[in-house]
Amino acid sequence: MQTEARDPEKESEWEEPPSMLWGLDPMFNAFVRLYIKDILQMRESCQVPGIYFYNSHPIFKVDVLATVVYKREKEDFFCYGVDDGTGVINCLCWKNEQWKYQDDSAKSGAKSLGRSTHGGFDPASELRKLQQAQYSSSNLDIGDVLRVRGPVKTSRQQRELMASTYYKVSDPVMAVQISWMLEVPRLYRQCYDKPFQLEKHAKDSDTQGTSADILLGRATRILKDFLKERVVTRFRPYDVQELLQPLFSSQPQKTTSEQEPEPGPSRGPSTSSKHLKQLLLDSLQVLQDEGLIFRKVKSQDEVYLVTEQDKNLLMAIRDIIKEDCQREKYAEKGCHVLHVLSSVRQRYSRNVSKAALEVALKALECNSDIISTSDSHYTVL
Amino acid sequence: MLPAPAIFHFPWEVQSGKAKEGDSVKTFGRLLTYQAEESRATLAAQHAATQHQVVVQTTFVEPFEPIIGAQYLVLGEIENAESGGVIVHARVLNCVDGVNVALLQKAINVQRTYFEERAVGNCDIATVAHKSASS
Repeated sequence: MQTEARDPEKESEWEEPPSMLWGLDPMFNAFVRLYIKDILQMRESCQVPGIYFYNSHPIFKVDVLATVVYKREKEDFFCYGVDDGTGVINCLCWKNEQWKYQDDSAKSGAKSLGRSTHGGFDPASELRKLQQAQYSSSNLDIGDVLRVRGPVKTSRQQRELMASTYYKVSDPVMAVQISWMLEVPRLYRQCYDKPFQLEKHAKDSDTQGTSADILLGRATRILKDFLKERVVTRFRPYDVQELLQPLFSSQPQKTTSEQEPEPGPSRGPSTSSKHLKQLLLDSLQVLQDEGLIFRKVKSQDEVYLVTEQDKNLLMAIRDIIKEDCQREKYAEKGCHVLHVLSSVRQRYSRNVSKAALEVALKALECNSDIISTSDSHYTVL
Repeated sequence: MLPAPAIFHFPWEVQSGKAKEGDSVKTFGRLLTYQAEESRATLAAQHAATQHQVVVQTTFVEPFEPIIGAQYLVLGEIENAESGGVIVHARVLNCVDGVNVALLQKAINVQRTYFEERAVGNCDIATVAHKSASS
């Protein structure tokens, strides 16, 4: 809860977050409702002028509501000094180009006004009214309330606001000012005073789960792409293990070693290869759960069959449906999925999961080998 | 040159000596009287069953249309009056009749509490840093 700029002890320790990460802080892209005191005191970045830090949050544009206490008018802009009760800052407010021609149009306005009284809608005079309204809302006097948004600039060692939008706030009963005064401390407590620590988030144990999930997601995607591209019919884990290697080399060793629990068999290889193995097992499990692969026989030799490419399985299913559909019981509606499943398990392999069967049925249906009669019944013509 | 920021004070704090001569303050109150020939207005506010008054010098904000009994917001500098007590030399004097005074007071307090908390937080960090440095 402190601004580094105000704390001389922290001055030497202060280190700017790298500019690459600034955009990740949501405050960077927001118009931050800081007190003017903080706008004046926040530290300017030494990497990029025009960027400031409040509590390690990178900031470059602010949103201010304050009373005008000073005014200077130049040909092209107004300079308003505004006071929000904590500080006073200059705001550079550009005049609209169109107002320059206001005098000319005022003269011609008399003519066109005469025309418009004949009735009907005169866009030119309406436009002039609009410009007048714009002008009056941007021409403030001392004591008026100004709302201004824009980037903070430092010129001649003085902070000022370059107004990107500004307008006079009509606030006769102070309702806007009061709600602003109530809101800003809340914003400070909820966002501005909470330090933004990206690195901590990345290392946080809570987010490890999600980063492990992302890793697993990538691994399964790699395996799926590989199986599809190469039309693999069967493989063993060590055949595909090296496909996942790139995922690990890009990750720092330290974070991966914290990510996943120790796998069961430890033969003493480096932690990285252990985790690679574990990741492989996990992703194979995912593929099995989705029914994309299955093991026909559970033995020492870990052979995985790719469901869609297993001709024997597809044939067995087709035969089962074909035969059973001739039985009176199934003739009309076709065979139910669960019936097919139990038959496949008896005839072909006990290890075919329901998910794998569904994948196989889908493949068969795509080839028009079988037809679905309902969402869980299949038949053969 | 920009003036100093005018910090919100409750009307009863202006007279109590909390604000020193030369301080910029912002305060509010009902317009009780206005003496045009002396450019002097008096604002009044009720607090804890007593009526507190703030005398305002209006030379900078004239001419203005006084509405007796209306709520005004004044922003200006504290000056010691010849007759004793203090007056506020107004730079801004706005009629804000209809303002929700209770809510305004709450808003002022919310803002003060926030700054107090922040100051306390800073002190804690400073003392902790000091201790760890000395140990």
